[in-house]
Amino acid sequence: MPKSAHAILIPVLAVLAIGLALFFFLSENRESIKKAPLTAGPAAEEGAVSSDLRPKRTVTLLFVGEDSESLIPEDREILADPASPAAEAREILRELIKGSQTGLLSAVPPETKLLQVYVDKEGTAFVDFSREFADRHPSGSTAEIATVYAVVNSLAQNLKTVKKVFLLVDGEERETLAGHIAIDHPILPDFSLIAGR
Amino acid sequence: MDPSKFSPRFFLRTAPLFLAAALTAGAPGLSLLSAADDSSSSAPVRNIIIDPGHGGVKPGAKGKFGTLEKDVTLAVSLKLKALIEKTMPFRVILTRDKDIDVSLENRAAVANNNDAQVFISIHANGSVRSKSHGAETFFMNVNASDEETRKLAYLENTGEELEKRIADEAQDAVKMILWDMAQAAYVRQSQRLAEMVQEDLNLELGLENRGIKQAAFKVLQGVACPAILVELAFISNPEEERKLSDESYQQRLAESIHRGLVRYLRLFPQK
Repeated sequence: MPKSAHAILIPVLAVLAIGLALFFFLSENRESIKKAPLTAGPAAEEGAVSSDLRPKRTVTLLFVGEDSESLIPEDREILADPASPAAEAREILRELIKGSQTGLLSAVPPETKLLQVYVDKEGTAFVDFSREFADRHPSGSTAEIATVYAVVNSLAQNLKTVKKVFLLVDGEERETLAGHIAIDHPILPDFSLIAGR
Repeated sequence: MDPSKFSPRFFLRTAPLFLAAALTAGAPGLSLLSAADDSSSSAPVRNIIIDPGHGGVKPGAKGKFGTLEKDVTLAVSLKLKALIEKTMPFRVILTRDKDIDVSLENRAAVANNNDAQVFISIHANGSVRSKSHGAETFFMNVNASDEETRKLAYLENTGEELEKRIADEAQDAVKMILWDMAQAAYVRQSQRLAEMVQEDLNLELGLENRGIKQAAFKVLQGVACPAILVELAFISNPEEERKLSDESYQQRLAESIHRGLVRYLRLFPQK
């Protein structure tokens, strides 16, 4: 066969191969789209769509900067739920655990999981973290102060109903976070630790 | 909280409560009373308590190169003890003199059981920032919640009646609060001691002045005498970690704290 025939055949085969691949890829996708509502249910999909329309609010989370011991604010959007301070508290704490989006350091160990939040009538927020909150903490007075007040101040400055915060670890009261700062009582916020205050 | 609320009369009136509370940790009730009473005559030689932070299974903060807070605190505490005993007529009691775990309550109890003049807790700092550096001295931030402040104010006004009237169970809760907050009566003197120690640390080390700070240290809460917590340097900062494990630097740290303590004791002689 002459070389010119090869020159025609190869591109044709290549186009065919790409076409076949695309066909299978798309049909698989179509199948998964068809399957999705069956497994997740139509209601779940509707929920996912409407959640984007739910009201949002901007909150200020606190992290640690490289250059000073002050807590540095960083704004974040969370789902607004004015009727439930505990629900908003949960959103705030989940975002705090996720860490900074602008390269600030996190005072809360990233392995920490939020187990439960409850706000009582007197304005005490009971925040129950998994044991990593204490066990994975690097220890040290400065680090512990940063952690305690990143959590307490982040809640108190965004939620009017929260006056103080009782930190629990794995459902239990702890004497200290990691050997220094007492967390055996509800802690009042200290806004003087925030940069610019 | 205003420390002046804790008048000697308040302590006398609530003495039975303190005594009862003291039983949980030994018998420091009497020393607590005399320490709070400004008019008492000068006592014989008293004790200085040095508290090397952490120990045993509780290493405290860790450095990148493996230095442990508990080892640094013990080394500096032993040096400080030697300096005090060489230069001053005080007995020095360490809350631990080897690598063992001592509970925070028991550390405070050592002070309260031994008629302590001052209590100095020695620590090495840790931060999530690796750049953090320098020495700083803390004293207790009582950070009493509204509820606790109310209970204390109520007790101050109705001490004796209250004892008779309140149920045993409720009384237990009240006693624990008083014991928890023993340090509240000494906050001003603790602040003076912190200032003097920090000044000498700054002078000796030529470091950036991190100043004195207040925080809710569990180990200071129940101490019934002037009490401070010294953070020697940051073990989380590689450069300072190296210094902290250097024996001559440890000696300089101990000497600085010693100088600050001597100045404080001259200003507030034994009482």
